[in-house]
Amino acid sequence: MSVIDEFEEARDDLEALLLEVLGSLLGADEVAPSAGEPIGPGPVLESRLVIHDRADDSYTVVEVETALLVGRVIAARLMRVADPSPEDLLDVVSELGNIIAGNVKSLIRHSCRLSLPTANVVQSTSGAGEHGVRVSASVLGQVIQLTVRPALPQEPVSGVSWPGSYDDVLETQS
Amino acid sequence: MKILVADDSRAMRMIVVRTLRQAGLSGHVILEAEDGQQALDLVGAESPDVILSDWNMPNMNGIEFLKALRAAGSTIPFCFVTSEGSEEMRDQAAEAGALGVIAKPFTPEHFLEVLGTVVSA
Repeated sequence: MSVIDEFEEARDDLEALLLEVLGSLLGADEVAPSAGEPIGPGPVLESRLVIHDRADDSYTVVEVETALLVGRVIAARLMRVADPSPEDLLDVVSELGNIIAGNVKSLIRHSCRLSLPTANVVQSTSGAGEHGVRVSASVLGQVIQLTVRPALPQEPVSGVSWPGSYDDVLETQS
Repeated sequence: MKILVADDSRAMRMIVVRTLRQAGLSGHVILEAEDGQQALDLVGAESPDVILSDWNMPNMNGIEFLKALRAAGSTIPFCFVTSEGSEEMRDQAAEAGALGVIAKPFTPEHFLEVLGTVVSA
C-alpha cells in the first residue's frame, strides 16, 4: 500500500482529528465539519511539517492552512491579546501545525520522526493537495485545511529543521 | 514551588501556564525555556521542583534533556507535554524516568491527573 493510499484510508480519522484538536484549543462550539469549501480570498497563513520514514527514507508533508484573518483571531484567543504581533501569529500557527502533525503521526506512522514546524504568510494555498489527502474544518465560519501528502520530487526537504540531534539519530540507525 | 516549562513555542508556554492555573495548580514560580539546552542550564541555576517539557525542540530535544538530567543524578519530577502521544514515545519516556506524558491538545483534567501528586494546589 502506498503512503497516499494509507492516508486516504485514514481520511475519516484525519477529519475527526482536525475537529478534535481545533475544538480543544478554541472551544467545541466554535468548530464544525466543513463541506470542503476553499479558503477565503486574501493572504494565507500556512504551517508545514515533514514526517520522515526511516524504513524507506520517504518524506510526508503535513500542511495546515487558513486565511490570515482567521489566524489572527486564533492567535488573539490563544494568547489572550487583542492584537497579536506577526511573531505571535507565526508562533501560534506553527504550534497549531505541530499539534495536528503530531497527532497525524501518532495516528498513522509510529516509527517515523516529525520535523520542527515552519510557518509563513503566502498569497495563496499551495495547491499541492491534489497529490494527497485534504480535509477541512470550519472555525468561526472560516475554513482551516489539513493536507497530508508525499513530498513532491522537487520539494526541498533538506532545509527542514529536526528536533534535537536528529542527525545523530539518523547516523546511528543507518 | 518552582515549575520549569520548556517549549519552543511561546504560545504553548502561555497555554501550559494557563492550564496549570485552570487545574487549580497555581501560585507557583514559573521558569521558561525555549529548548532543552536552555532548560538544562536553568535547572542548574534555579533548581526547579517540577519540569514540564515539550518533546520536539531545537538544539536539545525533550528526551535528550531528560536523559541528561538523569545522567547527572537529578531526580526532579519530569513530565512531557507533547503533540505526540504514541505508545512508543510513552514507553521511551517512562524508561528514561519521566513521570508521564500529557498529549496536546490537553485539558486541565489531564494536568491534574498526571501532576496532582507532584504539584501542590
